[in-house]
Amino acid sequence: MSRPTDLVQGTLDLLILKTAAVGPMHGWAIAQRIKQLSSEVLQVQQGSLYPALHRLEQQGWISAEWGPSDNNRKAKYYSLTKTGRKQLEKESADWERLSQAISSIVRMA
Amino acid sequence: MLRLRLRSLFRRSAVERELDAEMEFHIAKQVEENRAAGMSEEEASEAARRQFGGRTQRAEECRDARRLSWVGEILQDVRYAVRGMRRDRMLTLVAALSLAICIGANTTIFSIVNTILLRPLPYPAPARLYWIAEILGRGEEVGTGADYYSLRAENRVFEDVAAFDSTTLNWSGAEKSEEIASAMVSPSFFRVLGERPMLGRTLARDEEGSKAPPVVVASYRFWRNRLGSDMHITGKPIRLQGLEYTVIGVMPQGYDYPRGTDLWQPLPLDESSQLPRSERTPFRILRMVARLKAGVGAAQLDSEMARLTRSIRSEYPPAFETTGFLSRMKIFATPLQRRTTGDVRPALLILSGAVGLVLLIACANLANLLLARAASRQRELAVRLALGSARSRIVRQVLTESVAFALPGGALGALAAYVAVAGLNAWQPSLLQNYPAISLDSDTLAFTLGITVLTGLTFGLAPAGAAAGVSIQEALKGSGHTASGGRRTVRLRQVLIAAELGLSLMLLIAAGLLGRSFLKLAHTELGFRPENLLTFNVNLDTNRYPDGASQLRFFREARERIQQLPGVRTAAVATDIPLSGDGPWSGQDVQVEGHAPIPLGHRPLVDKSVVSPEFFRAMDIPLRKGRLFDPSDGLKKEHVILVNESFAHRILPGEDPVGRAIRTDQPGGGVFLQRIVGVVGDTRGSNLGTPPQPLVYGCDCQAESPFLSRMVVVIRTSGDPHSAIRAAEHAIGLLDRDQPVFNVRTMEERLSLSLAPERFHLILIGTFAAIAVVLAALGVYGVMCYLVAQRTREIGIRIALGARSWDVAGLVMKESALLAVAGLLAGLSGSWALTRYLRSLLHGVATGDTATFATMPVLLLVIAAGAALVPALRAARIDPVAAFRED
Repeated sequence: MSRPTDLVQGTLDLLILKTAAVGPMHGWAIAQRIKQLSSEVLQVQQGSLYPALHRLEQQGWISAEWGPSDNNRKAKYYSLTKTGRKQLEKESADWERLSQAISSIVRMA
Repeated sequence: MLRLRLRSLFRRSAVERELDAEMEFHIAKQVEENRAAGMSEEEASEAARRQFGGRTQRAEECRDARRLSWVGEILQDVRYAVRGMRRDRMLTLVAALSLAICIGANTTIFSIVNTILLRPLPYPAPARLYWIAEILGRGEEVGTGADYYSLRAENRVFEDVAAFDSTTLNWSGAEKSEEIASAMVSPSFFRVLGERPMLGRTLARDEEGSKAPPVVVASYRFWRNRLGSDMHITGKPIRLQGLEYTVIGVMPQGYDYPRGTDLWQPLPLDESSQLPRSERTPFRILRMVARLKAGVGAAQLDSEMARLTRSIRSEYPPAFETTGFLSRMKIFATPLQRRTTGDVRPALLILSGAVGLVLLIACANLANLLLARAASRQRELAVRLALGSARSRIVRQVLTESVAFALPGGALGALAAYVAVAGLNAWQPSLLQNYPAISLDSDTLAFTLGITVLTGLTFGLAPAGAAAGVSIQEALKGSGHTASGGRRTVRLRQVLIAAELGLSLMLLIAAGLLGRSFLKLAHTELGFRPENLLTFNVNLDTNRYPDGASQLRFFREARERIQQLPGVRTAAVATDIPLSGDGPWSGQDVQVEGHAPIPLGHRPLVDKSVVSPEFFRAMDIPLRKGRLFDPSDGLKKEHVILVNESFAHRILPGEDPVGRAIRTDQPGGGVFLQRIVGVVGDTRGSNLGTPPQPLVYGCDCQAESPFLSRMVVVIRTSGDPHSAIRAAEHAIGLLDRDQPVFNVRTMEERLSLSLAPERFHLILIGTFAAIAVVLAALGVYGVMCYLVAQRTREIGIRIALGARSWDVAGLVMKESALLAVAGLLAGLSGSWALTRYLRSLLHGVATGDTATFATMPVLLLVIAAGAALVPALRAARIDPVAAFRED
C-alpha cells in the first residue's frame, strides 16, 4: 500500500466543506469520511484537521454545536452555513479548473 | 462571526474547555476503533494518543486558527501592564494624578473651545449662515439700509439676506418696568436663521417698515421668566415703550440671535427712504446676516462678494467719492460663527496652546519615570529577547503599557474637567458670560480619550526606544541597576528634564507678562475718582419723550430729585461715561475755525459726549484750563464745548484751545460754531485698555439733539454708593414708572468688570504655569534622586577617598544647574518666538518685556535648585561603608 497522499495546501478546506455539506458531523467522522470516500488515499492528519475546523468556523463557513454522539459522549458537530455553501461552490469550481489544467498538462507530456 | 471572535477573545476559558473536550472525544473515538481492531484497552488508548500527537501543540494550532493574534496579544500586554501597575503602585499613582490634572485642564479648555468655537450655532444648516458687512470710508464694519436692499435684489448666492439692529425696549411689567434687550429685524430674519417658532408665528412678509404693526416675537427666556410660560400668549398684548404690542410668537429655547435678545420687533426701515442713494438721505446703519444657497462654495462666494462690491459701488452718486467713501468700499461675508465668537477666539486659542504645553511637560515627566522603571527591567527584557521575543513585540508591549498607565489619569482627568466646568459655569467669568453654558459632550470625551492615548504613546516613546535598544549581552552581563545602556538613557532623561524646564519657563514668562499687564491695567490712571460713585442707565421711550426738550426735562428733573436724596453729594447725567464698555455715543468731524480747511473725508474724527454741568464735579475730573459749563450757558446763543487734554495735544498742538472753535459747514450754506471754553483732564475710554482719546464735551443745557433719550446717571455719594441705589431708583420711578433703571453699578464694579478678561487670562495661565513648575520641579527631583542612587558606589568611593560632603552636594547641584541652564536657554528662545501671540492679551507691556524675561528664569532657577537640594544632601550623607555593602 502506498503512503497516503499529503493534501495539497488549501484542499483540506474544500474536503471539509464538501464533507460537512452532508449534514452535522463531528471532527472524527469528517476525518473518517474523507478517508473512506477517497478509498483510503487521503489521510487527514489530526494535526491539521482541528485547526482547519476552527479556522473555517471563525470564517463563518461552518457552524458548530454540541450534541450527543453514539458513544454517549458529547461531541462537537459541524455543519455547513449559507456562506459556507457559497464558498464550497466557489472552491469546487476553482478545484475543477485547477485539476483539469493540471491533468491536461500531465497527459500532454 | 464577530461574536465568535469576541468569544475567543473574552471567553477564553470556555473556549479552551471546549477545545479540550473536542480533542478528548476524538481520542476516545480513536480508542474505540483501535479496540475494534483487536487492541487491548491499554494498547488502544496508548496508540490513540500517539496517533493524535502533541495535544498542547494541537491546541495551540487551534488557537492560532482562531486568530487570537494581535488583539489577543494586546490584551495580553494589557494584562501584563495592569500587573505592572499593581506592582508599582506609587508610579501608577503619580502618573494618574499628574495626568488627571493635566488632562483635566486640557479637557476643560477644550470644552470651552468646543462649546464656543467648534459647536455649530443652534440653527438649521448653520455652516451656511454668513455675516455680511461693509467697510465704508473710515474702515468701520457696518451695513447700510440702501446696500441691504441692493444686496437682496442683486446677489445670486444667498437664499435670503436679513437686516437687523439691536436696541432696548422699556417693558412695563406687572410689578415694575424693565429694560428688555430687543432686536429690530426684517421679516427675512427668521427665514435666514431658519428656525420655526415654538408658539405662534414670526414676522409676515409685509410686517416691516415704518408702518409695520406693533407686534413682537418673544424669546423662550422672556416667555418663561416674564410671561409666565403662558401657552396661549399669542395674540395677547404687552406694554412696551408706553404702547401696546401684540405677542405673535415665541421662539424655541436656544434661539438667541443677536445674543441676549428677548424680543424681536419689525425693523422700521422702508426701501423708499434708502433708495435711490443720495447725499441728502441719511443712511440707516444696520447689521446683516444671510443664508448661503446650498452647494455654493467659498470661491464662488468670494467672487460674488467682489462682484457685488463693484456693482453696489457704482450705484452711489459720484459725490460720495469726494469724502473718500467709495474707493475703500468693500462688501464681504464672514461665517456667522466666526463672527459671533470673534471676541474670545484669540484668548481661547492661546489658552489651548498654554494648556497643551502643560500636558507636554507631564508627558516628559512620565517618560522620565517610565525610563527609570525600564532601566530596572532591562534584564527581564534582555531575557525575553534572548528567548526569541521580537523587538517589535517588546516595543509594542512597552507602548501598550504606557497607554495603560495613562488611562486612569485620563479617566480622573475627565472627572476633574467635569468639576472644573461646573465651577466655571458657577463662576461665570465675564469673558464667557455671553455664551451658552460650557458643557462636556461626547466630542469632549472623545477628545479626552484621544489625548489620553496620545499622551500615553508620547511618554511611552522614550522607554520604548530604550527597550528597543537593549543589548542582550550587556544587560545580562551587567548586575541589576547599574545596567548600562544606561548612559544613553541617562542622557535622554537629562534632555527630558531640560525640556520640561524650558516649557515651564515659557509658561512662567507668559504668566509674568499677563501679570504685569494686569497690574499695569489695574493701576491705570483713570482720570477720575472711582470711589463712592454710583452709575446707572435710563433709556427713555421715544413715544413719550419724542424730542430733545422732553428728554432733557426728564433728566433734569431726575437729577434734581436725586440731588435731594440723603448721602448724595452730586448727581449728573452724561451720554457716555468712562468704562461703560460701550462704543462712544457719538462722533464728530473736526475742522478748527481759522485753520486751513481739511477735505471732508480727511478731518479727524473725535468722540463726543453730552453731559450736564455737574458731570465734572461728580466724576472728579479736573479742569486744566478755562472754565467748566455753567447753567447759564443754556441761555447763550453761542454753543460752548469743553475738550479733554488729548484733544488739546492732538488737534491743537502748541495752541491755547480756549477761545478756539470747531466749525461745521451746514448743508444750507450756514456755519455752525462750537466755542471751546475749557480743557479738562483725560479719562479712560470705554474700556480700561483703551488709552484716552480726543473727546469733546457738549452741555446738555444747550443740546437740541433728539438723541438724548439714553443717558447714564452718575451719582457721587458721601458713603457707600450701594446705599443710594434704592432711593435713586425710587426717585426715577416716581417721575415715570414706565422708564426702568438698569445697569446699576458702582464705578468700582465697572472697574472690576473692565479687568475681568485680563483676570481670567491671568488666573488660567497662572494656574497652568504653577502646574508646569511643580511638575518640572518634581522631574528635577526625581531624576537627581535617581542619579544619586545610581552612583551611590561612586560617591561612596569619593567620600572614602576624602571628598567632603560639601563637594559631593556641590557635584549634584552643579549637574542640576547645567540641566537647568540648558532648559532655560531653550525656554527663553521658545518664549522669544512665541510670546508675540500673546500680544492681543497684553496692555502696555511689550511681548519681549525685559523685566519678565529677566526675572522668570531666575525664579525657575531657584525652584530647580530647591528641587535638587534634597538629592544633593542625600548624596552628601552617603555612608561609604553602607554604599560598598549594598552590592
